[in-house]
Amino acid sequence: MQPTGMLGEDGIHVDMNHLKKGEVNLGTSIMAINFKDGVILGADSRTTTGAYIANRVTDKLTQVSDTIWCCRSGSAADTQAVADIVQHHLSMYAVTNDEQPTTQTAAAIFQDLCYDNKDQLSAGIIIAGYDHRHGGQVYSLPLGGSLHKQSYAIGGSGSTYIYGYCDSYWKENMTEEGGIAFVKGALSEAIKWDGSSGGVIRMVVLTAKGAVRHLYLPDQAYEGPGKQPKAV
Amino acid sequence: MGGFDFSNHSRNAALHAQGFPLPTATSTGTTIVGCLFDGGVVIAADTRATSGPIVADKNCEKLHFITPQIWCAGAGTAADTEFTTSLISSNLELHSLSTGRQPRVVTCMTMLKQHLFRYQGHIGAYLVVAGCDPTGAHLFTVHAHGSTDKLPYVTMGSGSLAAMSVFETAWKGNMTRQGAVDLCSEAIKAGIFNDLGSGSNVDVCIITPEKATLLRNHITPNEREKKMRDYRFKKGTTAVLNQKIITRADISKYVTVHELDDGTPVAAEKMDVDT
Amino acid sequence: MSSPFSINGGAAVAMVGKDCVAIACDLRLGLQSLTVSNNYPKIFPYGDVYLGLTGLATDISTVSDLLRYKVNMYRLREERAISPQTLANLVSSSLYERRFGPYFVSPVIAGLNHKDGKPFICGFDSIGCIDFAKDFIVSGTASDQLFGMCEGLWEPDLGPDELFETISQALLSAVDRDALSGWGAHVYIIEKDKVTKRLLKGRQD
Repeated sequence: MQPTGMLGEDGIHVDMNHLKKGEVNLGTSIMAINFKDGVILGADSRTTTGAYIANRVTDKLTQVSDTIWCCRSGSAADTQAVADIVQHHLSMYAVTNDEQPTTQTAAAIFQDLCYDNKDQLSAGIIIAGYDHRHGGQVYSLPLGGSLHKQSYAIGGSGSTYIYGYCDSYWKENMTEEGGIAFVKGALSEAIKWDGSSGGVIRMVVLTAKGAVRHLYLPDQAYEGPGKQPKAV
Repeated sequence: MGGFDFSNHSRNAALHAQGFPLPTATSTGTTIVGCLFDGGVVIAADTRATSGPIVADKNCEKLHFITPQIWCAGAGTAADTEFTTSLISSNLELHSLSTGRQPRVVTCMTMLKQHLFRYQGHIGAYLVVAGCDPTGAHLFTVHAHGSTDKLPYVTMGSGSLAAMSVFETAWKGNMTRQGAVDLCSEAIKAGIFNDLGSGSNVDVCIITPEKATLLRNHITPNEREKKMRDYRFKKGTTAVLNQKIITRADISKYVTVHELDDGTPVAAEKMDVDT
Repeated sequence: MSSPFSINGGAAVAMVGKDCVAIACDLRLGLQSLTVSNNYPKIFPYGDVYLGLTGLATDISTVSDLLRYKVNMYRLREERAISPQTLANLVSSSLYERRFGPYFVSPVIAGLNHKDGKPFICGFDSIGCIDFAKDFIVSGTASDQLFGMCEGLWEPDLGPDELFETISQALLSAVDRDALSGWGAHVYIIEKDKVTKRLLKGRQD
């Protein structure tokens, strides 16, 4: 009989197939970058159950506080649950401290949840936010629950195809236009090569002025419509 | 609920470890769909319940009441969809009583996803949640593991691929009420005729801010042809060894009516046995 | 390896007639191919509502006793007999409570509604999903055969005598094609003012 738990006899082995059985997955391409005035988050929009696309216009960019967002990859159920809990913690933080939480605080709460429950979760999350103390910041929180502050982060199954692209095109302190072009270029390559990624490209540009959503459609070769007049 | 009793679990797990298969629960190998329209939302379902390859129920109800303005279509394990929706229905009623407000669809969706996430997919309920509240008309899907999606048109269940093909070819934005009902019915029919797990009739529920309308058996494309002749047996066909008549007066007089062995043979229970 | 549902064998069926309902079961109790008893009825009365239970014999007696306790408590608290609809919901929630460690039983209920006398039958899976049927309910190791028999023989508005012949012939024919069921049968015909219980002569092989 197959062991039903995730821990093997050594107590270490994690059976990834167990997590994914019949589950809705965000086989994904996600990224977040720092640029001159803040951060940009980007993601494709495909969620799958096996080979079936359960949602082709998914929004994997999730707001957890006024100026902190995250990109979700892995199990849809796990990442939604984690993001909901973090959102709750951050809203409580804002009220009790009469101050908006920093991106680092948000990332630490994410890490707490993802590290403590790493045996039960399959969640790869990128946290990006803007606060007036530190400006824009990007944190990567991959599967095991380690937290990494980075100048840019890529994640999800599609990210494997764009390590080279990002490495050669990355520049510190890009303009907004440059940043958007970088994210869009990287994600369209990831979508092109990764079967589990696809659909539209969604972006969120976070600056001192707040969050602005962008949308790029495949039937317009990811050229438009771009900046969204109001939050979608 | 939440008060599950696991006392048989170790016995059943031991049985399963010896190679006994797990019981096959009635599943609604199903087609369920939902679609937003201008001023409301429609959900629809087929009416077949299956247990393995056997059709267990030819005309079951897969559209579940949550609140007067929120309805839910269920696929997956039939008992789980039934009990999960009725649990959330109860909790929403209490919630709206204590807040003094009309329940919202997002609240319903959040309660469902948190309940299902807690059980890590072991409660096999796949749901389409639809309804109208003061914030407008809403449509969600909730998967058994606790993930949710918000879309203008959705399908779930084994017939979801057939139904989605109808939506992806015929769906347009800003539909009318009738347009949405017709489109949902077509999507369910695609499931009924092309998916083996789905069958029988089309149930539809239309929800607008004013009221919800349940159209039970809106379309019945699989009526059984009336039997031309019958197999009625003549009285006395079956060989009867013994019979006993229990009157209603006797039943209501006592807690239970038992046939006891008081030495005199009670014929109704006795049969000749080879010794 | 056989399933817990087919270790002991057995079959039950319920049917709706005109102002009456019928419920019937076979009498075999076995251990795989070895027959242990030829007088093991699987229908249990709860007032004027009848419950048929097939599946694992140990669970049949556990569930029937548990429900007898619950129905008696209901009678004491409510000071009235339990209606078939109420019993159906009681069975359903009792089974679903054990969602993750179920009893291996497939219950069937038959009775007449107390208020309007309307026939009521229903069936359940092992975790409490109710199957409200307007025609017939089958359960047990001969359920596939019973489905075929009932689908062919049943028709609406059969009187109590006709209903008896129909349900008896359906059950006898079905269990003759099931090695794990048979050895005689009990048939209950439930009418407004009386219940007729009959013992049928069946094959003894």
